Amino acid sequence: MPILEARSLSKRFRRADKASGFKGALKHLVQRKYKNFTAVDAIDLEIEPGESVAYVGPNGAGKSTTVKLLTGILKPTEGTVRVMGRDPHTERIANAHDIGVLFGQRTQLWWDLPVEESLKLLKHMYGVPEADYKARIEKFDELLGLGEFMPALARTLSLGQRMRADLACALIHDPKMVYLDEPTIGLDISVKDRLRAFLRQLVDDGTTLLLTSHDLADIEEVCERIVVIDEGRIAYDGPIEQLKAHYITTKAVDLVLDGPADVGSLAEKFPHYEWSAGEAASEVVVTYESARFTTAEVLGDVTAHLRPRDLSLSEPSIEDVIRRLYAGELTK
Amino acid sequence: MAELIATRTGGARHAFAVYRRSLAAHFRSIVEYPADFWVMASAGALWQTLQFAFLAILFANVSAIAGWGYHEMLVLVGFLTLGGATTAVFWDGVWSIGSMVIKGDIDYRITRPAPVIVQVASLHVGMQAFGELSLGTVMLVYGWVGAGLSPTLIPLALLMLACAVVIETAVLTALCAVNFWVKGTMSVFAFLVNDLQQDVLRFPLGIYPAAVRLVAMFVIPLAFVSFVPVEVLTGRASDWWAFGPPIAAAATAAAAILVVRAGLRSYDSAGH
Repeated sequence: MPILEARSLSKRFRRADKASGFKGALKHLVQRKYKNFTAVDAIDLEIEPGESVAYVGPNGAGKSTTVKLLTGILKPTEGTVRVMGRDPHTERIANAHDIGVLFGQRTQLWWDLPVEESLKLLKHMYGVPEADYKARIEKFDELLGLGEFMPALARTLSLGQRMRADLACALIHDPKMVYLDEPTIGLDISVKDRLRAFLRQLVDDGTTLLLTSHDLADIEEVCERIVVIDEGRIAYDGPIEQLKAHYITTKAVDLVLDGPADVGSLAEKFPHYEWSAGEAASEVVVTYESARFTTAEVLGDVTAHLRPRDLSLSEPSIEDVIRRLYAGELTK
Repeated sequence: MAELIATRTGGARHAFAVYRRSLAAHFRSIVEYPADFWVMASAGALWQTLQFAFLAILFANVSAIAGWGYHEMLVLVGFLTLGGATTAVFWDGVWSIGSMVIKGDIDYRITRPAPVIVQVASLHVGMQAFGELSLGTVMLVYGWVGAGLSPTLIPLALLMLACAVVIETAVLTALCAVNFWVKGTMSVFAFLVNDLQQDVLRFPLGIYPAAVRLVAMFVIPLAFVSFVPVEVLTGRASDWWAFGPPIAAAATAAAAILVVRAGLRSYDSAGH
């Protein structure tokens, strides 16, 4: 049985339809006109216990709205959500014990209090037993380095510290279903790495995770399944590996030659590959369809003709695929 | 299982515990970082000292206002000050509803197992109110003794003071909750009503036209915070009026709960 189930879930917002400026505002006062704006459009989504799902899409695609619908913050215009069999909006309090939520852009820390006080308040709010609380704080300290800023007031934290503290807040009651909305936004590389390692550990321990992020490295390192949303609709839903296998059909080898590369003559000699100039004059890139040629074949052909000083294989980039999905070039 | 969790941690007792702990944590932090506290508390005390001085100067020139003498006026201002200041100490967080709605900060509170309004109201302690509380108490006690009010009335006074706090809290909550619909970081309506109350209800209602009296009694029943209690205590109004404050407290509390619930239902968060 899925831990999370959304059926033809839709959310429409009403937006004031008014002309700009003071005149427009006056006119709107007299003659109220509204436009409906569909943020989420009949989404079906099922998540099994233990899954780690990336929820991605361009800005304004409806990611945050979906997360708010799934967490019970917003009431759906149409459709249903069930988290562990409960409606998160109408059974808010019971649902709260099973879910953990992080919105990277905002904090849930008590602004005027030390971090430790916020965690203690949450401990009591969720009714976490003292022993469990201590064990979890110890674990968070070890993995996220909480200890160094536990006594600091929330408003004095750096962004990286704040995010780590917020993550601890979201997980202090050991929720079964965790939603993380852009948990690495604005963080530097080292904090990101730390956070990703922590999230991997969380997934390995069996927590179900829904993660939204614009940083595809987050997604590749933490999640196995990817759901791409665009204009409120799901554009792709499946394993990340499958997305790659399905859409990443070419590979590339960068060659560094001794002298200037002659792309034209290489293209004539090996017309079944695609040749293009590299970053430097002595560099050339050969692109080939991975279904038709093995890398060994390509390298054999090339080295029979050229003596490259150096070569590197380009990793298949999920980023390109996502970019093309966003642009509407690919459909499932 | 759901019922079990609901009864274990849900309900009014849990809500009160959440509220009490959050407020206690803020009091602890005031003790640890006392500088802000002293600045704010002295500002509040200074303001109330000015009010006190204003009455003293006023009554150096007139002997009564609408039949009320100096000491009775002090009791009136004492009730007014204590009602508002107690609310400010214990329920000041509601002022931030407006900015929380705009920034989407209500979101997290919805995902936690406690009433949203309790979490918001306990987010802040109105430190200026400590000064008002002390000066308010001084004015009330000084006026009480000066007006020759009997000590046997103290229990009734305390009960009406408790009602005053409930009414203040409820009215403030309902007015701040308007920001669920009217988007703005400032709680304009709460500011307006609070200012009006401080200006208008500082004097006996007898000096105002009937329309003002009706509004203060039955529309936004702030007359039951200060005016009616002092009328009862000084014997100006019949004892039956002592039921007024509890009834007004119950009515405003019910109204506030309804407004907050409706506001939360219409909450559509920030951004999409």
